[in-house]
Amino acid sequence: MRRVAVIGTGQTKHAKARDDATQSELVRQATTRALADAGITIHEVDAIVLSNMELFEGRALPEMWVGEGAGGYRKPVMKIATGGTSGTSACIAGYHQCASGLFDIVLVVGWEKHSEGATQTGMALTDPLWDRNVASGAVGNFALSISQYVAARGVTPQQAAKVAVKARRNATRNPYAHLQIDGITVEQVLQSRMLADPVHLLDMCPQSDGACAVIYAVEDRAKKFCPRPSWVRAAVTRHDQPYIGDLDRRLVTMRTLRDAAREAYQRVGITEPLREIDVAEIYEPVSYAELAWYEALGFCAEGEAGRLIDDGVTEMNGELPVNPSGGVLSTNPVGASGVLRVAEAAMQVMGRAGDHQVPDVRLALATGYGVYAWSDVIILSAD
Amino acid sequence: MTELLRVPHTMTLAWRYGTSWYFAEFIRALRDERRLLGLRCPACRRVYLPPRPVCGNCYAELREWVEVKDSGTIRAFTIVHTPIIDPTSGQLRPTPYGMALIQLDGADTTLNHYLAENDPSQLQIGMRVQAVWRKERSGMLSDIVHFVAMNNEQ
Repeated sequence: MRRVAVIGTGQTKHAKARDDATQSELVRQATTRALADAGITIHEVDAIVLSNMELFEGRALPEMWVGEGAGGYRKPVMKIATGGTSGTSACIAGYHQCASGLFDIVLVVGWEKHSEGATQTGMALTDPLWDRNVASGAVGNFALSISQYVAARGVTPQQAAKVAVKARRNATRNPYAHLQIDGITVEQVLQSRMLADPVHLLDMCPQSDGACAVIYAVEDRAKKFCPRPSWVRAAVTRHDQPYIGDLDRRLVTMRTLRDAAREAYQRVGITEPLREIDVAEIYEPVSYAELAWYEALGFCAEGEAGRLIDDGVTEMNGELPVNPSGGVLSTNPVGASGVLRVAEAAMQVMGRAGDHQVPDVRLALATGYGVYAWSDVIILSAD
Repeated sequence: MTELLRVPHTMTLAWRYGTSWYFAEFIRALRDERRLLGLRCPACRRVYLPPRPVCGNCYAELREWVEVKDSGTIRAFTIVHTPIIDPTSGQLRPTPYGMALIQLDGADTTLNHYLAENDPSQLQIGMRVQAVWRKERSGMLSDIVHFVAMNNEQ
């Protein structure tokens, strides 16, 4: 395997509805910004990996309709769609294409325009023989798993609300983030509309329009184009069983994320993740999930996630800032959400995160989460 | 600048999904005999509902049918307040409604299904529940209307 680094990132302004741009135009904006950030042109790009959940917009073959926005003419182009993990899976595929020696420079672009369709329609097209009879959408399914997590760990609605507040407070320092809620409070989260007990509206991620791009280069090209590349140190993916009822207390056990994190930490030599990792961009579709991920990622012992948020350990000025960008809770164009985690982690290592930059980042973690329990873990570093 | 537009499209689409032998047998027993059937893994002995041809953990082929009861234990629950599109009708489902992951007696997996109860203070993990069936069965999982607490059973 060759050494590979992220040398550039780009994203659009994310919003509830980007009527000013087609899908292709969003992709072009993110791509153009990533190329400029990397200091290269589209002609240097050898291959392109796209990420999109096309059922949400009801447009088949987005790699054809939207591919030109990514500069895909006469280049190898492929698309990946694995639910919430689509973006991180595409980033892992792009990394493999570079690391394997297949290509020297690879562009990864993810996007979604939720405003163009009913996202629930896409979710409703679940397994027809079983799931459709009893489907309750992403919120209902999360709420079920949260009841198990709360019973096992005793986290409170206030602790979950603190995660929701942290995300939105961080988002106010990220000009690209969708939700911009000034001065949001724990009380405001707890008083927001109940979606499915115990998940309030402000505990849940939004549906956004937006795109994000990441550019990888192999070692010699990375050093040529980028003064401080963000080196990929580990990229691990894990899938699991199909039905929610197959999994033993999904958020409590979270075996895919635990396995992926363990393997990634082993490759990098991380033994104390909370102390060693400088910043994390994790895929938290709902406030409670972030608490569960703290445990699965080894940031704390089982049952200690509530204390971690109470003590401010994952705030911007804490020992391990989690989601300085505002995370999925603030911005969620699904096909782009995983790419955003990798891009934001890379920006932190490269020192290009602007007002939400964490000082002196050398080691950054990005994760993806999809469907009932699929997980991706990517670790980036300054060396 | 030209006014930005949205071009609406509404479609009616139709699909026909094959069941293979395992789901055909599950549907036959549900419709004709009001029985729930799971498949047992020959390696790990786990009983799977919904039935499927392979155990994801062992990658062993499943052939042994096991009867699963229509009573069970709540392993997770929520009350849903936000309407979602009912995939079987295309219409929004009326709210609020109770949902649970129910471990049916004899199964190792849990079934996600509806509860008659929609007051969360009346629900807890570990509660025993019983299926309420429709009079006319069509061979769908929705032949079970919902589950009720066993002490409220008539």
